[in-house]
Amino acid sequence: MAPVPSCLGQASLWIEKGARVREKTADRLVPILLILGALLMAADVVWAFTVAPLVKGAQLAEPVVIAGTVVSNKLLLTQKIFYLHVPVAIVSFAAMALAAFHAVRFLMTKNSACDTRSHVAMQVSLAFIVATMISGDVWTRFDWGVWWTWEPRLTTYFILMLLAIGYFVLRNSFDDPERRARFASVFCIIAFIDAPISFMITRLVPSSVHPVVFRTDSGLPPEMLIPFLLGLAGALLFAFALYRYALRVYMQAERVEALKERLEQLDTRKGRKAADEALERLQRCGQQLAGGADVLTAQGTDESASDSNETV
Amino acid sequence: MDAILAEVYSTVLPAAPYVLAAYIGILLVIAAFVALLWRKSKRTEADIDALERALESREQQEE
Repeated sequence: MAPVPSCLGQASLWIEKGARVREKTADRLVPILLILGALLMAADVVWAFTVAPLVKGAQLAEPVVIAGTVVSNKLLLTQKIFYLHVPVAIVSFAAMALAAFHAVRFLMTKNSACDTRSHVAMQVSLAFIVATMISGDVWTRFDWGVWWTWEPRLTTYFILMLLAIGYFVLRNSFDDPERRARFASVFCIIAFIDAPISFMITRLVPSSVHPVVFRTDSGLPPEMLIPFLLGLAGALLFAFALYRYALRVYMQAERVEALKERLEQLDTRKGRKAADEALERLQRCGQQLAGGADVLTAQGTDESASDSNETV
Repeated sequence: MDAILAEVYSTVLPAAPYVLAAYIGILLVIAAFVALLWRKSKRTEADIDALERALESREQQEE
């Protein structure tokens, strides 16, 4: 009689089934999210360069009327970098938060899937960190006249980038998957501590030249706030789609490893079978040889006995 | 150009290459990441196909 599954067992089966359905749905949404994210970011860029006004810089010697508007300051074009630079930076923080979340889950459950998710989220985070650093550096070069300055936001974000690179160096230095996952998870959580510090540094160090963007009175008029929010939504969707895509690729890589292992097992089994057969053949030959030797010995004994009889 | 207008736009035109470079930089990094993932995906798909074929033939040989 088949054992009756317990309620707990059935519940875990349902949870597993639900998780699989969610995974499949998320995978199916990847191309849609990628396209939607790209479209929103494109809308952000177009809006930023057409509708959003140029911000004001240094005061002019005397005001001038341009297209019916009195202009009393120089106009700054570099501020247009803000519309993609800031959303990309926020996405890098969000991806790192996701990586830290899965790292905590791995340490709690020891489920290797959580480690894979953390690893993939960290990759997305590093890609967006590098994109932020490049765009920020170009902005710094024009507005501050230098490629790099040890300003609090730049310094903390640079440390974040080094920590993200360090995560991958650490991962590659371990051969044992269990140890690698454990150490990487701990390092990921430690690295994430720098993300809120970097985000809040403009509030913590008031002398910072980076403005505080997220505040209730950000001062951004709607024609500047809307493209920024479009860019933020687009970058988040795009990053999530990339995360899902990367996760699928890593799952496939894990499947390759599993198939290789299975193939090796089959080869080992086949090799062992061949060795067993060879041993059996050898044993049979040995037995035959031993049998032949016995017959020869018996014949030899008979012949010597008859010889001695003849002599007598 | 009018001297005052030239002053108004004095930071606009020189900044254009930098703004362009920043946007291109972001796009290039993201495109490179997508390309890396795509290449890895294609390679693993090919590996899976080859390994599955090999596994199938071994299993048939065993039978």
